[in-house]
Amino acid sequence: MAIDSNQQQSGQQVKSVNAKVVIRDLFKIFGDDPKMGLEQVRNGVDKSDLLEHHGQVLGLRDINVDIGEGQITVIMGLSGSGKSTLIRHLNRLIEPTAGEILVDGVDVMTYSKKQLRELRQTQMSMVFQKFALLPHRTVLQNAGTAMRVRGEDEELINVEAYKWLERVGLKGVENQYPHQLSGGMQQRVGIARALTSNAPIMLMDEAFSALDPLIRTDMQNLLLELQQDLHKTIVFITHDLDESLKIADHLVILKDGHIVQQGEPQDILLNPKDPYIEDFVGDINRARVLRARSIMTPLNGSVPAEAQGQVDHDDTLESIIARSGGDIAHAYVVVKDGVPVGTLDMTVLLKSLVPRISSDNGVRNY
Amino acid sequence: MAAYDWFFDLVGLREWCDAEKTQGAMSMAELMAKANGAAAETAWWDVPFPSLDTLNKSCGAVSRTRDFTVSIENAFLGVKDSLKAVLDPLTQPLSWMLDGALSLFVSTPWWLLIGVLLMITYYASRNVLVTIFVAFSFFLLAFIDHYTYAVQTLSIIFVCTIISVLLGVPIGIAMSKSNTFQRFTIPILDMLQTLPSFVYLIPLIFLFSVTESKLYGIAIIMYAIVPVVRLTDLGIRLVDKDVIEAANAFGMSSRQKLFGVEIPLALPNIMAGINQTIMMALAMVVIASLVSAPGLGTLVLRGIRNLELGVGLVSGFAIVLLAVVLDRVSKASLARINTAHSH
Repeated sequence: MAIDSNQQQSGQQVKSVNAKVVIRDLFKIFGDDPKMGLEQVRNGVDKSDLLEHHGQVLGLRDINVDIGEGQITVIMGLSGSGKSTLIRHLNRLIEPTAGEILVDGVDVMTYSKKQLRELRQTQMSMVFQKFALLPHRTVLQNAGTAMRVRGEDEELINVEAYKWLERVGLKGVENQYPHQLSGGMQQRVGIARALTSNAPIMLMDEAFSALDPLIRTDMQNLLLELQQDLHKTIVFITHDLDESLKIADHLVILKDGHIVQQGEPQDILLNPKDPYIEDFVGDINRARVLRARSIMTPLNGSVPAEAQGQVDHDDTLESIIARSGGDIAHAYVVVKDGVPVGTLDMTVLLKSLVPRISSDNGVRNY
Repeated sequence: MAAYDWFFDLVGLREWCDAEKTQGAMSMAELMAKANGAAAETAWWDVPFPSLDTLNKSCGAVSRTRDFTVSIENAFLGVKDSLKAVLDPLTQPLSWMLDGALSLFVSTPWWLLIGVLLMITYYASRNVLVTIFVAFSFFLLAFIDHYTYAVQTLSIIFVCTIISVLLGVPIGIAMSKSNTFQRFTIPILDMLQTLPSFVYLIPLIFLFSVTESKLYGIAIIMYAIVPVVRLTDLGIRLVDKDVIEAANAFGMSSRQKLFGVEIPLALPNIMAGINQTIMMALAMVVIASLVSAPGLGTLVLRGIRNLELGVGLVSGFAIVLLAVVLDRVSKASLARINTAHSH
């Protein structure tokens, strides 16, 4: 009951955000006769049948996503699920077989080559898994790539590039070449390059996947910290569930080219729609990801007197457990901005930590 | 009775054969057969391959191979004048450039030219050892009185390499951009590379006067342009796809991509191509001395013609020395570019 009302709440939350980019009915079929393939897919032929009988590869099937302005939308899936294909449709590095991509309400598919270049120069920047920096240019020149492409004044470019390089923690290496930097630093240059373009939309294609775990955590924190000030519309691709739960405002889970489930990460965690997602979710530390607001009982009437104290609505369950000292008789008042919004019983908390199914009989096939 | 009479009888072409009989000059084989009296019957295991010449014996209407080569020659001579009318003015600047460079190199005082060459060497390679080696080589060549010849050879290589690069790099870029163009160009490049170098000279001698320097200029350029074209094509095709994707994602135009990303990243390969082009130009300039190209090649030719062993060997050594100089200088500048690009 508590969970149901919460779902509605978060559902409204998503809808209240303005959609910056809207993807409608997107299909992508790789092969020599995509039109025929599209017809087959619309008639319900699945990925393996399409490949076996028609020699066409299904890239994406019926994708509908609203990408909220100022939010981090994470698209997650295992390799081959079509996530990298999907992100390349947003700036049309890959052309869709069918469907619409609306940026600020305008269909990108109607753009001419020149308009498309303008879109890429001013509206969207991109960060790549393998950094893709220009090896013959210095860090400073790399950071200014987008502005230089637009043909802006060289002095202004350098001022901006210096500013963003410092912001991502790369002061002092401006005149080095990319190969002189470590992977983590190179990706910081990649992020500075995207930020210097000053585009409102940032596409990040497995941006942190090539980095080692500690550096990856650093970079995730950097991204979240930057996002607090900048409020960019970020589309982030990853195959790592922990990463997506950490940074996502809106999570889209892809499998074999179609969306299995999308929504607020907490919702997906509590209400996985599909054995595939249940299996995924079974592996993670729920206490660290779930927050008080997701499992609390909304307040009706007065604040209960027997509560042991107050917790913030964004506190993780892990921190609440630590606070209770493991005593399941405890109960807390959940507050948001100092105002009580609900109550949380330790027994409810404990129940929410029970995994939905065991991941032993998992359905993932690597 | 020749070997294939039965065939022409069988298909009923006998009349046509006899009516159209071409009476060419008698060949040596025919003459000897005549001297030996009537041709004997050929046994079945001695049946000759039905070549043009053999068939001609049975049927006079079939032309012989030498008639065939003569007709090719006539066809070439037929289009020669119109071809010359087009090519002559088009290639005239090449003659001017070759002659100009030749007189510039030869008339510059030796101390000035060697000085300039050493400066270029140092600027291109930033390598003191290579510069010292080049200085030593030139002083050695000058000491054995081969300076003028070496400088003539060098001037020809200089002009031909520049033109090869100016033509070859754009062709290579076009090849990397269009698979169709690449499919058409590769057989031509293969042909240019495998055709024996003397064979180039034959049609050129007919087209242009031997006294014109563009004759050998064209031969050298055709031979030497191949590696720079191939390696430019390869270099641009090998540019990291991720970097190209990033360039696209930031909205670069094709021109910005070409000059800002593709050519700079392909530069090590293009430079390797230029190094090969220089070496092939040197190889060809020696052979081109057969058609009046000046330089060390003329000494080699003199050595062969007059059996002057010493002249031939010393000039051969001078060519090797020049080759090593050119190779080391271009390799050193290539190495400098490679370190700037290393990952």
